[in-house]
Amino acid sequence: MGKRILVIDDSSTMRKIVSRSLRQAGLEFDEILEASDGQEALNLLENEKVDLILSDINMPNMDGIEFLRQKKELDAIKDIPVVMITTEGGADIIGEAKSLGAAGSVKKPFKPDTINEVLGDLI
Amino acid sequence: MDLQKNITDATTEIFETMIMVDIIAGDPITEKINNFKCSVSGVIGLAGSCKGMLAIHLPDKVAMSITGSFLGMDVTEVDDDVTDAIGELANMVAGNIKMILDEAGNNVTVSIPSCVHGEEYTMDTVSDSQRVVIPFNIDSGQFLVELQIKN
Repeated sequence: MGKRILVIDDSSTMRKIVSRSLRQAGLEFDEILEASDGQEALNLLENEKVDLILSDINMPNMDGIEFLRQKKELDAIKDIPVVMITTEGGADIIGEAKSLGAAGSVKKPFKPDTINEVLGDLI
Repeated sequence: MDLQKNITDATTEIFETMIMVDIIAGDPITEKINNFKCSVSGVIGLAGSCKGMLAIHLPDKVAMSITGSFLGMDVTEVDDDVTDAIGELANMVAGNIKMILDEAGNNVTVSIPSCVHGEEYTMDTVSDSQRVVIPFNIDSGQFLVELQIKN
């Protein structure tokens, strides 16, 4: 199976823009899956295998921090790298995300080059 | 804290990096503007040590134009794509302002974006708040970014 990326964001606009930026960044992958919050992502990951996850932080239902917290406890998915894509670029929230296993972060707004720099070694 | 400069810089950065549309900031508007016709307003609530809201008010035509540039497609009506895009636009500006407020010693949380759209609507202001309204011009017209905060 080719490489797959999961994009988690409550904004359909942002999911489309992240997907487009991933393609423009020239990264090698075969499929992008989408979820609109952390809970929907956890449900999806029960049946789908992905190689990398990009997640917003501020989302309704289950936010990105709680998603990281729950994912960390699940053996089947705990090692999938997660990069946070967020408007909240403050040191506190990014530090919390990294302490829960996030592999990196991209602050919105971003350019495709930034996506490439952060994700290049992860996929 | 220069809120006028912060709003201008944050909004300009978003348009230059993600929407790819030339944008020119105007002088702050001092008169009260709270009635909007055939417009879309994206709103983010601010809570914590600074309370208030950040809103972006756009005529329908401008909102559709920005959404089209954002998503790379033709947009001919104010639909879910437009309200979501304008909410996300407000979210990005508010996220930037939150960071600046937090760096100045505040502890601010931001809400999930909400969006208002209609033929005519009025948005009441936060009482006793500091208010900054900046007009921005792009090819398809003018829109406003409004920040109201009080400690």
